[in-house]
Amino acid sequence: MDKKVNVLVFFSLVLGFPLLLLLLPKEKESKDEKRKLADFPMFTSESYLKGTWTKLIDDYIDDHFPYRERFIQTTPFFHAAKGFQLKNAERVVVVPKKKDPSPEKKEEKRDTLAFLDEFEENFSGSMLIIDGCVYPLGGGSPKMSKHFAKMVSEYAANFPNVRVFSAVAPLSSAFIPAAKYKHFNAQNKKTLWAIKENLSNGAIFSDIFEELNNHAATKLYFGTDHHWKPLGAYYAYVAFCKSAGLVPVPLEQMTKKVKYNFLGTMYQYTRDPSVLAHPDTMEYWEPKVETEAYNLGAYGTSKGSKAKVFYNTSSGGNTYSTFLGGDLPLMRIKTPIKNGKKVAVIKNSMGNAFAVYLISHYEEIWVVDLRYSKQNLSRIIQENSINDLVFAVGMYAAMSHGTIGMMRRLATQSGNYVAPIRQENPEDPISPILAPDNQGSDTLSPR
Amino acid sequence: MVFSSLTFLYFFLPLSLLFHYSSRNDLYRNIFLTIFSLVFYAWAEPMWIFLMVFTALANYGAGIYIERHAATKKAKAGMVAAVVLNLTLLVSFKYGGFIYDNINYWLPLPFSRPSNTLPVGISFYTFMVISYVVDIYRGEIKAQRNPLNFLMFISLFQHLVAGPIVRYSQIETQIQKRTVDWAKISDGVTRFCIGLFKKVAIANVAGVLVDKYFNTQLYEISSYEAWFGLVMFSIQLYFDFSGYSDMAIGLAKLFGFDFHENFRHPYAAVSVADFYRRWHISLGKFFRDYVYIPLGGNRKYHDRNIFVVWFLTGFWHGANWNFALWGTYFGILMVLEKHLKGVLDRVPRFFKHSYTLLLIVFSRALFYFTDFNQLGYFLRNLFYSKNAVSSGILSDLTAHSFWFLLVLLLCIPWDEIYGQNHAIRLKTERVYSYARPAVNALLLLLATMLLVNATFNPFLYTRF
Repeated sequence: MDKKVNVLVFFSLVLGFPLLLLLLPKEKESKDEKRKLADFPMFTSESYLKGTWTKLIDDYIDDHFPYRERFIQTTPFFHAAKGFQLKNAERVVVVPKKKDPSPEKKEEKRDTLAFLDEFEENFSGSMLIIDGCVYPLGGGSPKMSKHFAKMVSEYAANFPNVRVFSAVAPLSSAFIPAAKYKHFNAQNKKTLWAIKENLSNGAIFSDIFEELNNHAATKLYFGTDHHWKPLGAYYAYVAFCKSAGLVPVPLEQMTKKVKYNFLGTMYQYTRDPSVLAHPDTMEYWEPKVETEAYNLGAYGTSKGSKAKVFYNTSSGGNTYSTFLGGDLPLMRIKTPIKNGKKVAVIKNSMGNAFAVYLISHYEEIWVVDLRYSKQNLSRIIQENSINDLVFAVGMYAAMSHGTIGMMRRLATQSGNYVAPIRQENPEDPISPILAPDNQGSDTLSPR
Repeated sequence: MVFSSLTFLYFFLPLSLLFHYSSRNDLYRNIFLTIFSLVFYAWAEPMWIFLMVFTALANYGAGIYIERHAATKKAKAGMVAAVVLNLTLLVSFKYGGFIYDNINYWLPLPFSRPSNTLPVGISFYTFMVISYVVDIYRGEIKAQRNPLNFLMFISLFQHLVAGPIVRYSQIETQIQKRTVDWAKISDGVTRFCIGLFKKVAIANVAGVLVDKYFNTQLYEISSYEAWFGLVMFSIQLYFDFSGYSDMAIGLAKLFGFDFHENFRHPYAAVSVADFYRRWHISLGKFFRDYVYIPLGGNRKYHDRNIFVVWFLTGFWHGANWNFALWGTYFGILMVLEKHLKGVLDRVPRFFKHSYTLLLIVFSRALFYFTDFNQLGYFLRNLFYSKNAVSSGILSDLTAHSFWFLLVLLLCIPWDEIYGQNHAIRLKTERVYSYARPAVNALLLLLATMLLVNATFNPFLYTRF
């Protein structure tokens, strides 16, 4: 009798889940993972013979498995049950290698933590967890710094009337409290100083590491996310101001706000119970400056849509998207400060929390996401009379040939730019930018 | 496709079972099983299916030819031709790149390196067909006359990807007709669930720790970390492979087949030779019956025969010199054990068990590192390292303490210890019979949870 029950229970499970998959409604996207879930693939003989169709079927089943999120949420309890955690234990977790993405997804996945895999020399794929905070184990590579510095210097050479700044953020590993990881502090410093030593053509180095290091006793990075805290970004802004001859606005003169229960990407990756138990609180400061912000889109629109500098409703896993609404491809921010100074910030997500402080100093701020903007940066610089060009990126972006290449391409890509026609729409908030001119040379390659 | 995937567990398996049990006719069942096996094989690499079908048909024909000319020179010629063909295919597809690299190193070749992927399961099905034609030549089995049945025997998805190496003689009668009852299916379910759990909840967990300690700067690793990593790799290797064999044996039962055991608590061995009587038994028996004994076994050139078998065993595991080193290492140990048998027989069992485990765990380093530079760094730090010990080890030990206990319990050969005690066996069986459905369901759901969790793929940036 028990054997029949055994068989029937097993069969009901292996038959029940596929039936549920067929019957239950399908989600289109996963908020936790911040990605689209797989669609059912179209069959073609070519895709079948290449093995991609079956791979996409696997992806579809994986992404839409019944009660998938509940299973995922339950997994940490299994891991916790494998043993017991020492108090204040530190341990290293290895970021699992992602499954080889299907060709259709490869492009999409370029922006994931795969950046870590591109980390040339020093990143082992491991992360350290201490007291519920996650730190990458690594400190960059001076060898890669040269490539980044070369790219920045090329911009300086090509735009002699523009001040070009390197404002690269160190990794949080530089500020691990435990003494035995102090060598990561030195390694971060060495990597960033290698940028300084290799800059040429008048490019300016903002010593963000030194400024952050002076305040290392304060927590400058999130424990559950790979970004810096707004306070860390503030000290980076102070460092930038020192290099740019600006006077930073004291925090006390800004409006302080707080968000709670932030569990960011590092938690999503590690799913570690101790990280779960230590959600971040995000204190942030808004400069008291009225702004008009526009999202111009990846390829540019004639008008752009209204955007904001601070998205105060962002919460949960998207708390860091408070700044500039996340990673918009291209933003233009106008301020009432009529000093004629304009800045373009080339950034990845690390630059978001930094760029918002610049609204106290510039009449116009252009925020260019190095990954998503398809517009031609040379034209933006020339046609808007940009004074300062700031490369405000996290170290991962400065340590990868892929992202350095993206930053270099920004100057030469033609995009699908559509110039606004001011005369037809006097209310258009976007100032005219010339349409692409295929006659002229706008390459950044060394002349 | 692999057994430990959601696609297999919840789509391929139920569909294949539904089709199989939709008919009582053995012919139809064999047709369904063959079709499903081919679909299973073609899931990842559709093109290699032609190679497998070609191998099956060639050996099907060779079998009939050898039988028809039994006890003649033609039979021998047919057998030799079939073995040479099978080995040529294996060497070409599995070792082509390796051979090219080694020749090209000394003598640059005018053509480019073969860049084919390794056909899935070729090492297993090649040995199956070799044993088939040799057994027919020896008159131990009858040739299969039905090509469908032969193709099913070669392509059965239960053993195709990772064994065990099933001999035709073991399932000859089951190919024609199989009997299934509730007890057999229930045993299959239990065995499958245990295997799945071993693979997903033990081998994969150990694998994460292996990556952590081995996938790092090896010159920075301390001796403690190196040994810890090796123990983890030993756990991963055993539970991965034996878990897969358990699933294969369980799945075979679900469809009415009985495969022989492939593992028998190897970490309880008291000598290296004993270990390999318990580890990947079907491979050991293959080399014994088709290489070692034909070479002369223990009657002549015993030491040479042992070395030859272990050198080949090493290379069978992979196309790299480290596997040859690994095989040679075991060849030396086997010969030493043979010559020191008198001494070893007199030492306490605990000592024998300990030295065996130590030598086996050490051998995992030779198996893991295909790069000799990495192996060199690792071995140096394994025995002498000035590097500081990471406190992460203590954390990993405590964070996995219950898991280690479970691993230990699963490595102990309880049936060998208490199997002779009929009363205990009956009592255990009676108690477990009530819990079996719930335990199996729990193991399946736990494995499912971990497999679903492995699909979790968060993005750093919003990319809807």
